[in-house]
Amino acid sequence: MSRPGSAPFLRRTFDGDRLLAAVCLGVPALGLVVFFLYPMVIVFLRSITLGDGSYGLANYAEVLSTRGFWRATRHSMVMGLSTAAISVLLGFVIAHGLHRCAFRGKALIRAAIVLPLLAPSLVQALGLIFLLGRNGLVNRLFGTDLDIYGFWGLLIANTLYALPQAVMIIGAALALSDARTYEAAEVLGASPWRQFRDITLPAARFGILNAAFVTFIITITDFGNAAVIGGDYSVLATEIYSQVIGQMNFNLGAVVGIMLLLPTVVAYVIERQASKRQEGRGGSAAVPFVPTPSAVRDLPMGALSFLLAAAIALVIGIVVYASFVRLWPYRFDLTFRHYAITLAGGYSSLWTTIYVSLIAATGGTVLVFLLGLGLRRAPAAVARPIQMIAVMPAAVPGMVLGLAYILTFNSTATPLHLLYGTAALIAAVNFYHYHTQAFLTVMTGFRQLPVALEEAAGSLGAGLGRIATGVIAPFLAPMLISAFFFLFMRSMVTLSAVVFLTTPKLTVASVTIMRLDDAGLTSQAAAFSTVVMLVVALALGSMKLLMRRLGRAAHGAGAG
Amino acid sequence: MDPTSFLDVVSLTKRYGTFVALDDVSVTVGEGEFVCLLGPSGCGKTTLLRVIAGLTGFDAGDVRLEGRSIADLPARKRGFGIVFQSYSLFPDMTVAENIAYGLKIRNVSPERMRARVRELLEMIRLPHLADRLPWQLSGGQQQRIALARAIAVDPRVLLLDEPLSALDAKVRAELRGEIRRLQRDLGIPTLMVTHDQEEALALADRIICMNNGRVVQAGTPEELYLRPATRFVAEFMGTSNLLDVEQVRALFPDLLPGSPETGAGRRYACIRPEHVELRPDPGGVATVRGVTFLGHLRRLEVESPAGLLTVETHGSAEVAEGSRVALSVDPRHCTWVIDDMEAAAPGGTGA
Repeated sequence: MSRPGSAPFLRRTFDGDRLLAAVCLGVPALGLVVFFLYPMVIVFLRSITLGDGSYGLANYAEVLSTRGFWRATRHSMVMGLSTAAISVLLGFVIAHGLHRCAFRGKALIRAAIVLPLLAPSLVQALGLIFLLGRNGLVNRLFGTDLDIYGFWGLLIANTLYALPQAVMIIGAALALSDARTYEAAEVLGASPWRQFRDITLPAARFGILNAAFVTFIITITDFGNAAVIGGDYSVLATEIYSQVIGQMNFNLGAVVGIMLLLPTVVAYVIERQASKRQEGRGGSAAVPFVPTPSAVRDLPMGALSFLLAAAIALVIGIVVYASFVRLWPYRFDLTFRHYAITLAGGYSSLWTTIYVSLIAATGGTVLVFLLGLGLRRAPAAVARPIQMIAVMPAAVPGMVLGLAYILTFNSTATPLHLLYGTAALIAAVNFYHYHTQAFLTVMTGFRQLPVALEEAAGSLGAGLGRIATGVIAPFLAPMLISAFFFLFMRSMVTLSAVVFLTTPKLTVASVTIMRLDDAGLTSQAAAFSTVVMLVVALALGSMKLLMRRLGRAAHGAGAG
Repeated sequence: MDPTSFLDVVSLTKRYGTFVALDDVSVTVGEGEFVCLLGPSGCGKTTLLRVIAGLTGFDAGDVRLEGRSIADLPARKRGFGIVFQSYSLFPDMTVAENIAYGLKIRNVSPERMRARVRELLEMIRLPHLADRLPWQLSGGQQQRIALARAIAVDPRVLLLDEPLSALDAKVRAELRGEIRRLQRDLGIPTLMVTHDQEEALALADRIICMNNGRVVQAGTPEELYLRPATRFVAEFMGTSNLLDVEQVRALFPDLLPGSPETGAGRRYACIRPEHVELRPDPGGVATVRGVTFLGHLRRLEVESPAGLLTVETHGSAEVAEGSRVALSVDPRHCTWVIDDMEAAAPGGTGA
């Protein structure tokens, strides 16, 4: 890598701090190159590699001429757009309910919103199958003959999975509003409806746009729900899977991967712009908005919010419940027998997943911290391209990254293949899959870090290592904790990126759940999911506890 | 009722749980009058403004406009204008749209609206900013636009809630002049909340000084400054020397005849620092302990048999630390105040 900005310091005498700063930047940057850029180049090259080893567009021609591809593309788009539209609409209702209406029990809704984050994305599909599947509760109780597999089942599953994201994004936009703005409008004579139209909607518009793109990306890149409940309704994510795992056709899989990458990248770029506009408006609320009760507004909004939250909680709750039921839907006495996993390996994949998630979270947090530290000291010409690469992974669907990894690390062309089949590689794919979010979280902290704090420590004679561990890391503690638990929780439940990298000897929890469901052991899949949710819930609880303790310590210091 | 009164707050009481935010408060704003509600934070002045605006309810009393109760009228039907400390412009509307918002709600025709916005932008001297968005403007500019937005609809009463507190000193002084000029020109009855006594002195036709949810004293700026009724007002309206009867007897016996009959509570003579006359006198009873040069005047800390006094002089460069001085006060410049603060007995000086 050429680093024009570093030339001046090479001429000087040896400076430990400069070296340390260069290492801080160099190690994470090298990681991004080897574990993200390089595999992405490989997947692209493989998509244009022909049977005889030469390059050409014949693979594309082949894929584009098949009906299956176009059907999957159409399905993915229709699914992505409908899920985004419904999620944004309903997400706005809940977010508006939480931030703009006065009713009791909001904590329950907030809790329901968090639930989908605890489980692999196929849990919604599992829950729907227990509820509405052929052997579902509804068919059993009402003697109907519903078939949930296919478009409608997938749409509901995807919506229940994406909805919480929409609520959080739109809620964040609504939370910024200033109470005084509404009072000014009120005194000027604006009715509640006009205030909603003239202040609330414009304030939320970037949040709405943002939520639409995020839910669209989540939906078209999701594999778990599509694999479990999609049935004959093929989408691009399942199409890649069947090309690669079903037909061992890696090059065509790479083509489909690139085709899935295109809409995601476009959506992601627009989404980033929308977020920037949102930030550009800036301004934290001088006086936070506190809704005054209004029965006409609060009753319907509250009822609708509770109904939606109940639906989110129900499909997950029913999975937990079904895991204890002897024989769904015939014998409802409770038992632990489904917790004895009969599939080869039993719970070993759970321990592997926890181990992998710990590596991904620890290594990942250290790497993004070093990256932030290095970027702060790097000249803009060096920092800017690295920063750009650091936020790219969010645009890459997990399926595509996973495929890129298998093409890169399962090839004996480079020594990198030594990593194939190791827990470290699975940790790496998880970390780089979620690199952007962890990086942005830590960068938020770095942006808030006062330059004067570092300078004060520096002028007291502290070297970079000292400043980093003694001054910067404590200041960034909340962001580092968030990044750590985010990476841990995502690694515990992600499926799309790791599905290609597991081997018979080394597999992870979400893949085991999928295999259990494939094998018809749906109740065991539910039991395994419940255990995973328990682990992730414990992690989430620990994070909240740590954050609270940290907050209290900071308050104590502030008062003293 | 006062024949010229326009807005009347009658015996208003507002409680938050057991805390009494407003305790039997009565306030009047006359036609075209500029009234300041002055008091320390938590004294209830902002609550009173919000009750008048209709943004907060109350427990007892009444709010009347031209003699008719508006207590049951929602804020949006009162036809008032309000400006908050935090500017609170609509973040997604341009400057022109912000100013026009009240007119739009009143279905004013587009041509009239445009003309009115132009006129107001001229009035606040920001005609070039019509198409900007609020976040692109400085605090002072935003607050002027908030002011224009409030007066665009020809409000019956203008309410200002600490409009200058978020601004830095220079901008604050500028905007203070602007508010005064606009209010005089337009003759809108105005009620402004502030905790800054200087601001109140400079702007108000009448000041209503509040403490602990009650009105302590109401009057012209001169009355409040020169004739404070209580120790709280004396201390809140600038610096004063407060001396009890014994101290007065020891130092300025000629002030004693002005002392009122001793009623309930202690009484103090309130003497402003600029009203203490001081001349160098080797045989004087007082000694200068400290001199602070403030440009247009000198502030002296003087030790006297009655304790430390604060004295302000315009000349007297010859008075240095350690000089012996003689002190005197013109009886016309002494006001006797009652003690409404049960804190420790005052020394020679108050804040």
